Amino acid sequence: MLKIIIPTIMLMPLTWLSKKNMIWINTTTYSLLISLISLSLLNQPSNNSLNFSLMFFSDPLSAPLLVLTTWLLPLMLMASQHHLSKEPLTRKKLYITMLTMLQTFLIMTFTATELISFYILFEATLVPTLIIITRWGNQTERLNAGLYFLFYTLMGSLPLLVALISIQNLTGSLNFLLIQYWNQALPDSWSNIFLWLACMMAFMVKMPLYGLHLWLPKAHVEAPIAGSMVLAAILLKLGGYGMLRITTMLNPQTSFMAYPFLMLSLWGMIMTSSICLRQTDLKSLIAYSSVSHMALVIVAVLIQTPWSYMGATALMIAHGLTSSMLFCLANSNYERTHSRTMILARGLQTLLPLMAAWWLLASLTNLALPPSINLIGELFVVMSSFSWSNITIILMGANITITALYSLYMLITTQRGKYTHHINSIKPSFTRENALMALHMTPLLLLSLNPKIILGFTY
Amino acid sequence: MFSSLMLVSLLVLTLPIMSSIFNTHKNSTFPHHVKNTISYAFITSLIPTMMFIHSGQETIISNWHWMTMQTLKLSLSFKLDYFSMIFVPVALFVTWSIMEFSLWYMHSDPYITRFFKYLLTFLITMMILVTANNLFQLFIGWEGVGIMSFLLIGWWYGRTDANTAALQAILYNRIGDIGFIMAMAWFLFNTNTWDLQQIFMLDPNLTNLPLLGLLLAATGKSAQFGLHPWLPSAMEGPTPVSALLHSSTMVVAGVFLLIRFHPLMENNKTIQSLTLCLGAITTLFTAICALTQNDIKKIIAFSTSSQLGLMIVTIGINQPYLAFLHICTHAFFKAMLFMCSGSIIHSLNDEQDIRKMGGLFNAMPFTTTSLIIGSLALTGMPFLTGFYSKDLIIETANTSYTNAWALLMTLIATSLTAVYSTRIIFFALLGQPRFLPLTLINENNPFLINSIKRLLIGSIFAGFFISNNIYPTTVPEMTMPTYMKLTALAVTILGFTLALELSLMTHNLKLEHSTSVFKFSNLLGYYPTIMHRLPPLANLSMSQKSASLLLDSIWLENILPKSISQFQMKTSILISTQKGQIKLYFLSFLITLTLSMLLFNLHE
Repeated sequence: MLKIIIPTIMLMPLTWLSKKNMIWINTTTYSLLISLISLSLLNQPSNNSLNFSLMFFSDPLSAPLLVLTTWLLPLMLMASQHHLSKEPLTRKKLYITMLTMLQTFLIMTFTATELISFYILFEATLVPTLIIITRWGNQTERLNAGLYFLFYTLMGSLPLLVALISIQNLTGSLNFLLIQYWNQALPDSWSNIFLWLACMMAFMVKMPLYGLHLWLPKAHVEAPIAGSMVLAAILLKLGGYGMLRITTMLNPQTSFMAYPFLMLSLWGMIMTSSICLRQTDLKSLIAYSSVSHMALVIVAVLIQTPWSYMGATALMIAHGLTSSMLFCLANSNYERTHSRTMILARGLQTLLPLMAAWWLLASLTNLALPPSINLIGELFVVMSSFSWSNITIILMGANITITALYSLYMLITTQRGKYTHHINSIKPSFTRENALMALHMTPLLLLSLNPKIILGFTY
Repeated sequence: MFSSLMLVSLLVLTLPIMSSIFNTHKNSTFPHHVKNTISYAFITSLIPTMMFIHSGQETIISNWHWMTMQTLKLSLSFKLDYFSMIFVPVALFVTWSIMEFSLWYMHSDPYITRFFKYLLTFLITMMILVTANNLFQLFIGWEGVGIMSFLLIGWWYGRTDANTAALQAILYNRIGDIGFIMAMAWFLFNTNTWDLQQIFMLDPNLTNLPLLGLLLAATGKSAQFGLHPWLPSAMEGPTPVSALLHSSTMVVAGVFLLIRFHPLMENNKTIQSLTLCLGAITTLFTAICALTQNDIKKIIAFSTSSQLGLMIVTIGINQPYLAFLHICTHAFFKAMLFMCSGSIIHSLNDEQDIRKMGGLFNAMPFTTTSLIIGSLALTGMPFLTGFYSKDLIIETANTSYTNAWALLMTLIATSLTAVYSTRIIFFALLGQPRFLPLTLINENNPFLINSIKRLLIGSIFAGFFISNNIYPTTVPEMTMPTYMKLTALAVTILGFTLALELSLMTHNLKLEHSTSVFKFSNLLGYYPTIMHRLPPLANLSMSQKSASLLLDSIWLENILPKSISQFQMKTSILISTQKGQIKLYFLSFLITLTLSMLLFNLHE
């Protein structure tokens, strides 16, 4: 694993030693190379995990998330170029350093073998993200957003620390590789219910569960483009990853503790996608759509069947790429109209036809058009929730319908119709932006050819 | 030979899309290229179809293993049975003509290349849908045609109406998709497979739930009552789109799905009666709506909807082969009707109102001929294409032990078919011209003439050929009393005469007060007025007021972050006022210290 981590750390000196006109090119190329190295992890030759050391391992669950993480860094760098073009050189370098640091933490989080080191790194990712949001956000509300982001996550995850220490005391180990074989049923007691809550809440807040999601739209809206991308694509998936890892040791409590959270998620996904229908703010719409998609992942993880785990993993990867792409598209609008309001950017298809094609593709993947991996994820979740209880199909079906509606509403509002007069003289789309969208879209399309590499450990 | 030729004809379709990726400079010839490709695909597909008709050998091919999940194997698999083998050439033939027609209709559109690409992509997804052997592949085609219909309805994206209609189509289709997904989930859960032949072989019991799901799916896609308003709205798209998607191919996908799942449906009486009633309601309701419309495309759209209802009725009386026969024959004359109306609309400078036409009999003889033949075929005039399917359907319905009300409704709808057909002919073709005198009418374009002519021949002869090759699996009634045999014809003739008399009589009368019956029909049964206002209003205001404002911005904010920060603020203000009572502070420290020493040192 060091062959990914050390190059990533070395990105920082590269940034600081690069010449003024080379910082973007150097870092983007270099991080792209790192992501190419990480691709080899997708080949998991045996059912067991790949052990690299006592500290790091990777298995079919973490490998796709890891590859997504490394893949996203060059994309974030490409997306931020325009946003930072007016900044002085040192700040640009600082920004890139922050992104790199975040990347390092994320890689280590996804590959940590110990729950405690996972926890520490999980918390450590907050720091660079917070700095990115509060330093490079566009409006003053970014400070408030940063507060929300920090406090929700911290408050949610502090009980986890206590729980982890108590589990360490109980079992003597917090190693993921050992936990698989430990698998002892927790006795049925009040304290274990609290243990369950403490373990799950941290990740539920991160996902976020409906009701605890307030930080997410704020953070997404206020963050600069790279922040939104990494939040939607990876940081939310930390929650899903953590839940998938930790539920193995929380049996049999999950079977009855899951009910309120399942209900909340099922209800919340309808509510949040209905909110999307009324959003005027493009980034906020995409953020709420993330909440609604992540609710599906929560449902899938709590149902705890092989199919639902496959669906959860596939949906996390698919949503990571799709929502990140949508944020990039929203940002390309923002850079031209200087507003996130959708109605101010309508009719763009006439002016930027190629960008409209990307919008179309992104919206279609967001509404899970077959045979994209988004559909595979959603379909598996729907299948498993249907077998869990037939009635859920009503809620799931409603959500599928509303998702299609708001995705296409977004598409129609921004791309179709007559364009407004104030966007007569906008810049054409750059090759950089088109490349950025292509780099989002290509993995989505290629993965639909062979989805089994992102189906996780129950495949 | 058989299967590979079929695959070749499917693969040929993808060539233009592939080639357009590599050379973009030959844009001007691309539409012609697409048209030729489709004609080649049609001719290629004829060979396997002939072989199939000759030998009757059904085939399933599995090509490419996609993935195996747990116990479910998914592979690229084609089912080449009677339905797909007959439908593919029919669809290719119709599409070929429509492509040629589009060359004429869309010639001034700057994005004609993209238009052809869209049409071609649609055709490919439709072929996927028809030939799919497993539910997942079927779903790919199913959603694909839905999305392509969204794109094609919204072709003139500058117009608000087009965008709304496109969104409406997707919304209604998506409601149907819930049913499809539920059926998929049910089959996966209960039969552990998505392959059609395995599902039929296992023949699960208690199939009410999945079949209801499939019926819902068919209702959405085939615009049956309840989810019907998108079809007339879809007429906002260009006429070739209406001709291809919304008459002959995409909208029959729902019926096709039910035909595919007929092995499960034939033993389930509940679903059959539901299907029958749904179809009967649709066919009557939409026929009534068609009566008072003035937009020529809307009339034809409602007539399509009515015919789709008739197909669903046919499935309800357990005759899937007849329903399929009607799909095929309907494709020819309905596509041609749309093309004729397109010809009229284009010639009259985009005038769609039949009240402003008239007298086209002299100005456009060819279009008039085709339109009349198409209308007659639609009404089931003997020995035209429609007769072979429609007459059989009505006869079978007459002689089957079925719901008398459903039968009566179907018969009335059949009669009304003749009425609105007469209305189109009467208003658009006969009488005095009512359009602007300076309109330049010219129908002598080879693209237009040839394409309509081809379908015209199809509308006359296709029914005969296809009905001769139908399998006698579910035998239609062979003998019946004369009056039953003649019912279909009688009601149609009744409709014709009544409509003609009424039109002649009331042509110069002015409608002073529109009656409530007229309003009901003209406002589409008040359905859009109610359903397109109340539920969206309720839903949108719910999401704004309760979900967004009340819950997210007030309650969730107040319960967690705001109240905590309020609490912290209050306490910090309360505590931070220094009183200088150093003794008290130390005392409190001492108490805490002592307490903790006592409490935590007990368990040693």
